[in-house]
Amino acid sequence: MAVEAGTGRVAPAELRRSAVDHARARRASRRRNELLRHLALAVITFILVAPFYYVFLASLKNATEIFSYPPKLLPFPPFFGNYKKLLFDTGFLRWMFNTLFVAGSVTTLKIFLDSMAGYALAKIDMTGKKVVFLAMLILLMVPIGALVVPLWALMSSFGLIDTYAALILPPLANPLGAILMRQFILGLPKDLENAARLDGLSEFGIYWRIVLPLIKPGLVVLAVIIFTDQFMSFIWPLIATTSDELQVLTVGVAALRAHGGANYGLWSASAVMSLIPVGVFFFVLQRQFLARSLAGALKQ
Amino acid sequence: MTATQPAIELIDVGKHYGSVSVLTGVNLAIADGEFIALLGPSGCGKSTLLKLIAGLEELSGGEIYVGGQLANYLKPSDRDVAMVFQNYALYPHMTVRENIGFPLKMRGLAKEAIGEKVQAAAAFLQLGAQLDRFPDELSGGQRQRVALGRAIVREPLAFLMDEPLSNLDALLRVEMRTELVRLHKRVGRTTIYVTHDQVEAMTMANRIVLMHKGVIQQVGTPSEVYSRPANTFVATFVGSPPMNLFQGRVDSAGGCRKFVGAFELPLDGIAASEGTATLGIRPEQVQIVPTDTPQALGATVELVERVGADSFVVSQIADGVTINARVDGARQVREGDRVAVRLPAAELRLFDAAGRAVD
Repeated sequence: MAVEAGTGRVAPAELRRSAVDHARARRASRRRNELLRHLALAVITFILVAPFYYVFLASLKNATEIFSYPPKLLPFPPFFGNYKKLLFDTGFLRWMFNTLFVAGSVTTLKIFLDSMAGYALAKIDMTGKKVVFLAMLILLMVPIGALVVPLWALMSSFGLIDTYAALILPPLANPLGAILMRQFILGLPKDLENAARLDGLSEFGIYWRIVLPLIKPGLVVLAVIIFTDQFMSFIWPLIATTSDELQVLTVGVAALRAHGGANYGLWSASAVMSLIPVGVFFFVLQRQFLARSLAGALKQ
Repeated sequence: MTATQPAIELIDVGKHYGSVSVLTGVNLAIADGEFIALLGPSGCGKSTLLKLIAGLEELSGGEIYVGGQLANYLKPSDRDVAMVFQNYALYPHMTVRENIGFPLKMRGLAKEAIGEKVQAAAAFLQLGAQLDRFPDELSGGQRQRVALGRAIVREPLAFLMDEPLSNLDALLRVEMRTELVRLHKRVGRTTIYVTHDQVEAMTMANRIVLMHKGVIQQVGTPSEVYSRPANTFVATFVGSPPMNLFQGRVDSAGGCRKFVGAFELPLDGIAASEGTATLGIRPEQVQIVPTDTPQALGATVELVERVGADSFVVSQIADGVTINARVDGARQVREGDRVAVRLPAAELRLFDAAGRAVD
């Protein structure tokens, strides 16, 4: 570094040059870090997406192409035989309808039941509330395996085995949703309820017109949990139904594998088709995650 | 309700949660159009009393009459009262228009009538331009006005206000205080205003109800409460700085009744019986006089607080006993000065052993 004679200070031009070099080095280092970050993200994305793509690829190949080596990464020309067979030669559409009907019914009913139970647990003074809540928490710890046999006996005694009711009613008793809703509703200020009470709303009116709109994000989270849980449910639908007409997707696709031979193309097509409703459900609900902020309702 | 009937009357009202008593034996009659402030420290039961009147809490005992009608068993919405909450309690998912119109909608009013009343309330509260906004798009003052709008649009018999100005910044607080007084004058409805801020109570109310530990300590106009406190709690809670209080006893030895404590003072004109007593005097009544003034107490200035127009002079009059005097801000008094203080007999307030004022 050049030093001015006599003063011992670094020359201004030299200082400027040094600052520019420093800034340039910093920029380069930032770019390098960003590149590394993107590279890491790309690897993770690849790890997550690759299996889906491979299944999608397999669904568009015939039996010989699936095992060809090296594998074709672009299915051209695509083979739609697997989808045709799935839709017209199996009970796939029926399974899909059953699954959507059961998952949709359970989700809709459970949203109302759980939010009402959550409201009661959070806001209504009643004797034994703590005991009920504790019982619900304990119930969460009971594994599904322990419930299957008594549940089957119960449904059987009501004559409900192999009906839609057998698929829809038992999941409604799961306490997780009510516990979640209680926590959401506990966060709502008491003054809002009091204001509504003075405005002339009944207890149900407060729940319906004030509480429900304010816990919308919680309801959406709960809907997603319930819907996907029902969509993927296998053990109970397998036990609770015996006829082909009431089979749901998970049971139907499993049966397809058990009885249809090793048709990887068909299995892949069924996996791809099964993903569509869940994807659509997420897409529709993601806009609903936002509720009007409570910020404006209260003094900060 | 007849002309002489109180708008709201509380008879022996009590409230307890299990074994914890929150309110005891509250008796109060509030005249139509009166502005009453419920004043007291946090936890004294003033907000609970307001909620009992609104019907948001259940009575443990006593009777509440609203507009001459027994309200004990009436639903909150049937009591003809509107409440402004400490935290606004606006419905965040509704616009200003919907918030103000909501109580009318619940009463089944026609859409057109609701629209007209909302417009009128909005114009009155200068909210016309904000009608289609949501609460989180409004300033603190505007939100407060929406909360008021929701109350006045119902045209109730009485307004119940639960510390509506708490947590607002100082400037907005003063502004809203003036607006509330103006609103009361224009609307002329009975208002019960809960606050722990004595300035709010003194400046806004026709009468103050001072509460402590669930019991009414004194009911009176602001000047009555200030100049003739009913007990030592009122004497120290109202006024800033509070009344000077001195422990001692009343002695009649030698035929002359006097107060004997850290100092002795003749009690001319005060009908006090002998025994333990507390003597009180407001800081502005304490006179700092020349040291040679007869019947004055010698004192040493410990602290001078200058607050602009006034100064507060804290002087030691006996070992460990100080007195606070409010003097003109221009007066030259310095810490360490030797002065004399005079306590005019007419301004003295005597309290008995239980702390009750002796009249």
